[in-house]
Amino acid sequence: MSLLSVKNLRVTFDTESGRVEAVRGVSFDLGRERLGIVGESGSGKTMTGRSVLRLIRPPGRIEADEMTFDGIDLIRASERKMRSLRGPRIAMVMQDPKYSLNPVMKIGRQLTEGLRLRDRIGAAEARKKAIEALEAVQIRDPERVMEAWPHELSGGMGQRVMIAMMLIPNPDLLIADEPTSALDVTVQAEVLKILDDLVKTRGMGLIFISHDLRLVARFCDRVLVMYKGRVVEEIEAGNLMAAKHPYTQGLLNCLPRIGGAREPLPSLDRSGAWAEM
Amino acid sequence: MALIEIDNLSVHFDAGDRIVKAVQEVSLKVDARESYGLVGESGSGKSTILRAICGLAPISGGSIRIGGEPLKTPRGKGFSARVQMVFQDPYSSLHPRHTIDSTLAEPLAIHGVGDTDRRVVQALKDVALDPKFRFRYPHQLSGGQRQRVAIARALMLQPEILLLDEPTSALDASVQAETLNLLNRLRAERGLTFLMVSHDLAVIDHMCDRVLVMQHGRAVEELARADLAAARMQTDYARTLFEASADRLLDTA
Amino acid sequence: MTTLTEWLRDPSPSSRAQARLGQLWLGWLRFRRNPMAMLGATIVVLLLLMAAFAPWVAPYDPITQNLAERLKPPMTGGHLMGTDEFGRDIFSRIVWGSRVTLYIVVLVAVTAPVFGMLIGTVAGYAGGWVDQVLMRITDIFLAFPKLILALALVAVLGPGIENAVLAIALTSWPPYARVARAETLTVRNSDYIAAVQLQGAGPVRIILGHVMPMCLSSVIIRVTLDMAGVILTAAGLGFLGLGAQPPMAEWGMMISSGRKFLFEQWWVATMPGLAIFIVSLGFNLLGDGLRDVLDPRSAGK
Repeated sequence: MSLLSVKNLRVTFDTESGRVEAVRGVSFDLGRERLGIVGESGSGKTMTGRSVLRLIRPPGRIEADEMTFDGIDLIRASERKMRSLRGPRIAMVMQDPKYSLNPVMKIGRQLTEGLRLRDRIGAAEARKKAIEALEAVQIRDPERVMEAWPHELSGGMGQRVMIAMMLIPNPDLLIADEPTSALDVTVQAEVLKILDDLVKTRGMGLIFISHDLRLVARFCDRVLVMYKGRVVEEIEAGNLMAAKHPYTQGLLNCLPRIGGAREPLPSLDRSGAWAEM
Repeated sequence: MALIEIDNLSVHFDAGDRIVKAVQEVSLKVDARESYGLVGESGSGKSTILRAICGLAPISGGSIRIGGEPLKTPRGKGFSARVQMVFQDPYSSLHPRHTIDSTLAEPLAIHGVGDTDRRVVQALKDVALDPKFRFRYPHQLSGGQRQRVAIARALMLQPEILLLDEPTSALDASVQAETLNLLNRLRAERGLTFLMVSHDLAVIDHMCDRVLVMQHGRAVEELARADLAAARMQTDYARTLFEASADRLLDTA
Repeated sequence: MTTLTEWLRDPSPSSRAQARLGQLWLGWLRFRRNPMAMLGATIVVLLLLMAAFAPWVAPYDPITQNLAERLKPPMTGGHLMGTDEFGRDIFSRIVWGSRVTLYIVVLVAVTAPVFGMLIGTVAGYAGGWVDQVLMRITDIFLAFPKLILALALVAVLGPGIENAVLAIALTSWPPYARVARAETLTVRNSDYIAAVQLQGAGPVRIILGHVMPMCLSSVIIRVTLDMAGVILTAAGLGFLGLGAQPPMAEWGMMISSGRKFLFEQWWVATMPGLAIFIVSLGFNLLGDGLRDVLDPRSAGK
């Protein structure tokens, strides 16, 4: 049985200028595997990720024929039930650690708070678990980081702390929304490797949301390519270069490459019938 | 003689209790009509060099010469007509309460250039924007369209030198391609000199003839385009950056 | 009508005027959906109409005395709100008094915010010692209680409406300077200011053309919210006999004269009090509504 099953997911916003459909009928199944969702801004990829946790504020509305996680109906679950899922079962890592960490609380307290309040674990035990989690994301001196304030950490360090925090309760599914976009390329590679190892060793499901097709292709098993709220192509990551859909091909080709030709980059042709829908 | 000459440039900021050395003794020369790239990670000081040229960051040591003349402080109108800059984020570089028309007409008004209507319409055409956008506000445009407006604004005074501060990093990949193509076309048509900053080695490689790799405010290594493509770098850091570059992910996968 | 709305909603306006009107139209649409703000706007519009058409709206002369009719309760002898101690129709006096109130409000609204904004933007944009000097002067003005400072000024200059306005304006600019400076500080380091600096623009052009438009909405909101306070201060000065002088109809002064009969003839003081209350409320509601429309954070969405 699949871990997460989504059928015909729709997210709509009623705004002044009429109805905006951010996600228009997205369906996918996820086992304990790594699924990538790729698209440009406005494609609905972030909304899709947030819908799974029902983290869409009014006037946004989530509708789906089916959205089940491990047998739990996410559409009909009570808000209380959703709260118990968010974190322990389904975790989310956001783009910028600057905005996800509480700036007036030390890292150590942020890491242990959930353990102590939710799981009623003693201070010493919680601290030990937190340090283990920091070690798991390859932070060399976890003791020092525990005592640090969020502003004292670099971007890469902050994102590792976020990942550590999400992994402490051992979730079954991790949703990573552009987890490395705010990071430098060299740091990006390290963070992705950590994320990848953790997902593999713990057997979690991963939804990796990104605008970068190449990144997703490398770190996922399967890729959903989204455009204007729809999935235009679903493809095995290994076969990405053989993508059939003109949008996927366009996305791949329009990127400059080191040592590539100096001629104008091929621009994405949006004149096809697929772009009209 | 090189058009832009930077000698031992240092930029220090006074951050209260300590001094931040954003740029330390960086030298580079850019010839006329050349496209020169500065690449590095955040905090490498690459954008600060551009800001120092424009007078938006203080020059603490060394010198900058444009066309052989040392820069004056304040830079003055003569400088504005020669050097212009395109900023990273098109969402914050256009005045939110000015129409595209007034944004583009502003430099003409400052420099007392007449014929505003024709020039504004022509500028929009030059960056492949429909003249019907002329009286829109920035929030009515997409990111790529805004960046085109920012490029048009920079070209209003017919400068020789364009400083490009990560001009496409806030844009989607397909829009990035269109914007890079536009910049290359404009450079060819007008004989512009580019000094371009980016964190993306592939973008720099596509746009520039020579690249300076920077780290922690210092110049690490200067590479010609052919050396970059053939991975002939001398320093470890330049190699690390090259290996981590996103466009190489597919090859090694 | 439909062609006009279409013209206003045209996403690609063909002239500066159309672009600006289109933005105003969008703001109006947003404003219209807020019932409390509409109530405020209605009150303010009614006040304007009442002041403009005072000679036609008021059934009696506001100044002519008629001692035979003195202190009549409301709804008697054709006096909607009764009469005061000189037999003058209170409704007529309130209608005529709205002119005085509006006169004060408008004069304060065009002087204090403009001056405050100038001080604030210059201080914020220039920084350094200019900022220090200007803001310390602002602090000195802020440190005085408003009414006391106004009282002192009127005491020196002599009572009268013009002097009351001057006193109120002089005491109410510092908050605008503060707001404008705070807004300027967030704007001055933005890329669009850097871009216009790069084009060779001087500080005057940048402050007037680029910084001030960004401060305008916060200041306008503050002005509308402060209008209630201005009306109350003006009424307070009138009440103390330092604003408008008899026999002119002014709401604060009317309350002051009604004070003597408060227990037996309650309406003499209550009616102008209600007028002040309703108009202040109107300006407050309007200000709240404008905040939703003009707030730069909500604009553009």
